[in-house]
Amino acid sequence: MANHFSKRAIVGLKKVGDVYCPKNGEFPAYSEVAGIGYLDQLTIHVPPDDFTALNLALAIFSFFPKGIIEWLVLTFQKAANNPSEGILPSTYRQLNLGLRGLVFSTYYSELINPEYKGKTPLQIIDFQINRIED
Amino acid sequence: MSNKIYDFIVVGSGSGGGSLAYYLNKSGAKVLLLEAGKFYRKNTFPKTEAETSANLYWGGGIEFGKDGKMGFLRTRLVGGSSIVYQCLMDRFDDNAFDAWKDESGVDWFSNATMDAHYNQIERDMQLHTFTASERNRNANLFTEACDKLGYKWSDLRRGQSDCAHDRGNDCIGCLGGCFRDSKQSSLVAFVQKAEKEGLEIITDTEIHKVEPNSNTCKIHGIQNGQKVSFEGTKVILSGGAFGTTRMMSMSGFKSKLPALGKKFASHPQFMWLGFQNEPVDAHKLAFQTVASKDPNFRKEGFKLENVFAPPISIGMLMNVTGKKHQDYMKKYRYMQCIEVAVRDENVGEIQCDNNGKLTIIKPLTDQDKTRRDKGLAAIKNILQTAGANEVFESNFYFGLHLMGGCVMGTDSDKSVVNPEFNVHGEKTLYIADSSIYPNAPGINPGLTIKALSHRLSTQLLK
Repeated sequence: MANHFSKRAIVGLKKVGDVYCPKNGEFPAYSEVAGIGYLDQLTIHVPPDDFTALNLALAIFSFFPKGIIEWLVLTFQKAANNPSEGILPSTYRQLNLGLRGLVFSTYYSELINPEYKGKTPLQIIDFQINRIED
Repeated sequence: MSNKIYDFIVVGSGSGGGSLAYYLNKSGAKVLLLEAGKFYRKNTFPKTEAETSANLYWGGGIEFGKDGKMGFLRTRLVGGSSIVYQCLMDRFDDNAFDAWKDESGVDWFSNATMDAHYNQIERDMQLHTFTASERNRNANLFTEACDKLGYKWSDLRRGQSDCAHDRGNDCIGCLGGCFRDSKQSSLVAFVQKAEKEGLEIITDTEIHKVEPNSNTCKIHGIQNGQKVSFEGTKVILSGGAFGTTRMMSMSGFKSKLPALGKKFASHPQFMWLGFQNEPVDAHKLAFQTVASKDPNFRKEGFKLENVFAPPISIGMLMNVTGKKHQDYMKKYRYMQCIEVAVRDENVGEIQCDNNGKLTIIKPLTDQDKTRRDKGLAAIKNILQTAGANEVFESNFYFGLHLMGGCVMGTDSDKSVVNPEFNVHGEKTLYIADSSIYPNAPGINPGLTIKALSHRLSTQLLK
């Protein structure tokens, strides 16, 4: 059965995404450009238990103010340098990579909001590849 | 279960299984190739980095070790990991085979024995050794700095037929599957050829249980939500270190074979970035053409590769947030990139519960860390010598070469398969993939996986 993010989880993801990818000069905020419509498709093979935990975590984040989200994101980020193999730092490290993966996949990507009309993050970093298929 | 009994059933279609099925099928035997993933072709591979991760990898992307420190990448599709890897075709040196012989007690591990098998695989693939004119700027920065520092390097040999670089084709696009059928993946070099010669291939079928007996071996799994079973005179598991270990564990072999899941190694890889003042465009044309070939590096247990990655992956390497992260990403075209792959100790473990959920224990030993640090120091030297104005020292590391878990050896207390590739004590069950690697060779494993499969094919067809 396909995974499906709840509306609450999407609100949480946009808040987290705006911390990872804020409005910054040419760069749009994550919530402006994110390919939310692609999320279910991008998580189709995530194991159900992992997806449920992620969906719940994002839904909880939706209730937090920006300052708390920033603190959480920084805490997850710092866990990468923590040598401890305890359950909390291990979980933080996985959240750090899991959330960044989800956000970047719908930001530094072709899979963005089709309604967005500005310069996309891929255009801003000037990423272009040629495919000669014949 | 159908009444059909195959001569050979090969479970898994990557480097080991794809090539093995090809050679067995060529003999006229009745062969079935089973694959858990889908059958993508050159015109159906995902076209974006995000869709590639989501659709071609187990778990929908990267999987983590228990401590969340290391990421593992393994694919699920026809062709296996050979679809997304760079198809670098290196023979093992004597050092690698000697280390295998010491660890396993298997006396035929040697270049003298394997030479004929390497030769056959090399004849059946189209191989290309890069030349100076094919290097992009990332490669030229690497080689020029290595020359200044006295580090030895060499042009890489890759499985490819026609990558159209002369017409501006960018090979970074083939990390999600080659859309030209140029990259000599297991799909292109073996599976599609065998398919034309009548090989039966069933996809979307995940095997959970193997039941060997004295004359045949039955296997059971799930295909599109339905239970399925097959029977073969001989069954060969080729699901890779994680997949094969999982099938063996779920079939109850752990109690008989205590070494099951043990001796896991993965060549931990660390990528660092150097920012240049002029565009590097490391993502353009042939994006990986050279690597270190320094005897001192080999002795010290690491090698350097001149690599790069598309934007999402590069973003993942940089563990900073917000505007700082975006400002780095804006310099994507200015990034020079080098990776160190560590020849790690095989102290990892692949654990599997009754439901098939895997837990990967993969600590870095003190020796691994020493090798990593020496490699990273060499990378920093190269980046700075090449003129980088800043070096980004990423702390994220990952494993692509997943090896061990069902290692080969003479002692059934310390290994899972015997020197004839047979699971100890089981005449109808074999393993042919990187899970049988006794330890980490420190060399790209793809060619040797195929050569070992060729060796097994000659043995099975006697």
